[in-house]
Amino acid sequence: MVSLVKQPLLSLLPTTQSPKQYHPFAANTTTPFKSSQSQFHGLNLTFSIPCSSSFTPLISKTSLIVSAKVNKGSVPPSFTLKDQDGRNVSLSKFKGKPVVVYFYPADETPGCTKQACAFRDSYEKFKKAGAEVVGISGDDGASHKAFAKKYKLPYTLLSDEGNKIRKEWGVPSDLFGTLPGRQTYVLDKNGVVQLIYNNQFQPEKHIDETLKFLQSL
Amino acid sequence: MSKLNPTPLVTPPQLDDPSIKSTWSHRAWVATGCTTVLASLAVSFIGSINSHIWLEPILSVFAGYLFADLVTGVYHWGIDNYGDASTPIFGSQIDAFQGHHELPWWITKRQFANNLHALARAITCTVLPICLIWRDRPVAMGFVGMASGCIMFSQQFHAWAHGTKSKLPRLVVALQGGGVIISRSQHAGHHRPPYNNNYCIVSGVWNRFLDENKVFEALEMVVFLKLGRRPRSWSEPNSGWTEAAVDSPAMVD
Repeated sequence: MVSLVKQPLLSLLPTTQSPKQYHPFAANTTTPFKSSQSQFHGLNLTFSIPCSSSFTPLISKTSLIVSAKVNKGSVPPSFTLKDQDGRNVSLSKFKGKPVVVYFYPADETPGCTKQACAFRDSYEKFKKAGAEVVGISGDDGASHKAFAKKYKLPYTLLSDEGNKIRKEWGVPSDLFGTLPGRQTYVLDKNGVVQLIYNNQFQPEKHIDETLKFLQSL
Repeated sequence: MSKLNPTPLVTPPQLDDPSIKSTWSHRAWVATGCTTVLASLAVSFIGSINSHIWLEPILSVFAGYLFADLVTGVYHWGIDNYGDASTPIFGSQIDAFQGHHELPWWITKRQFANNLHALARAITCTVLPICLIWRDRPVAMGFVGMASGCIMFSQQFHAWAHGTKSKLPRLVVALQGGGVIISRSQHAGHHRPPYNNNYCIVSGVWNRFLDENKVFEALEMVVFLKLGRRPRSWSEPNSGWTEAAVDSPAMVD
């Protein structure tokens, strides 16, 4: 889950998370930690912040996330969101097959367009691996509809208006919370998270990493 | 995806066009700008000698040189991507930069003071008060003097970056080759679609870092998400942005 590429200067800047990051299933249940992870431009950086008054951030290149809201091995909170055609879609609909859930900042922006088109271009490979692809952003249905139509996207886009699901799942932001994070989850057929990949500015890598993982199953 | 507009064919301005000539007003502003920069550096030099320090002023001068490159990049990115001719304060600059993309080589035809006077005016108005307030801080004035000088002359470095090697002074070519001032090849990258990189125009030392780390792309996303403003570089270039072909090639050296 943790992948190391080069370490740009900006990746050393902390990302922001909502205050309530304590995960009830964290390994250490006696001393709750806040933890956030961001992979800004390819570097996966994790640091833990003690919840005590003395703020002592630790920056580790290799530590695992122990208290993000959704992490590997957990079952993420269910949701029902509207797709680009206004239909309600629940996460439970995909149980029984692997599903790639990718959170992205916004429709019609360069990185998100690259990512969407890359998922489109590899969609058959995802289907061959038995997986479904679902994209989620805070844009409304009309925006998703236009985006999907313009780029002929064959998969579902869901409107997470108010970014409620993004917050529930604990998708980290970038640049001091000004930029919604770009994070992809691969859920197995039982709905358990098996892979989390975060990379804001190399969007095509989300496709490479998730496909590689699915094909290795 | 929409296609790029075909290369527009335009009749370039004439070489005696008054818009590229220096006026006495232009020369006056360049003179005051240069005086301001020299005064800042002189204050730094004299103060350093009096204080018996040399390392800190040298480092601050170097920091000013690096800072100027970054500032020109950020400013260039801003006016290349946002606003138009009607934007308050910056409208004429934005219009000029758009025109520059259409006819990049035209900057080499502008007379010296004509090219620099706008920056010289800004430098005079901002740096002169700083010079007066900080006249007893040699290290700070070294930074200010060097940064303001590089910013003021960035338009000249920019013009040289559009020049032809055979027509440029040997010293300029050497400085470009050494990476001291922006090189012709590096700046040429900015004039290729999608026109979203290589924004810095003093030395260009920041360009690789800024482009490889997608700094401007990040800023564009933040501006879009917070203010709803799309940068020009996200759209297919319109005819006003694409380099034009001239219908009188003899005009171009």
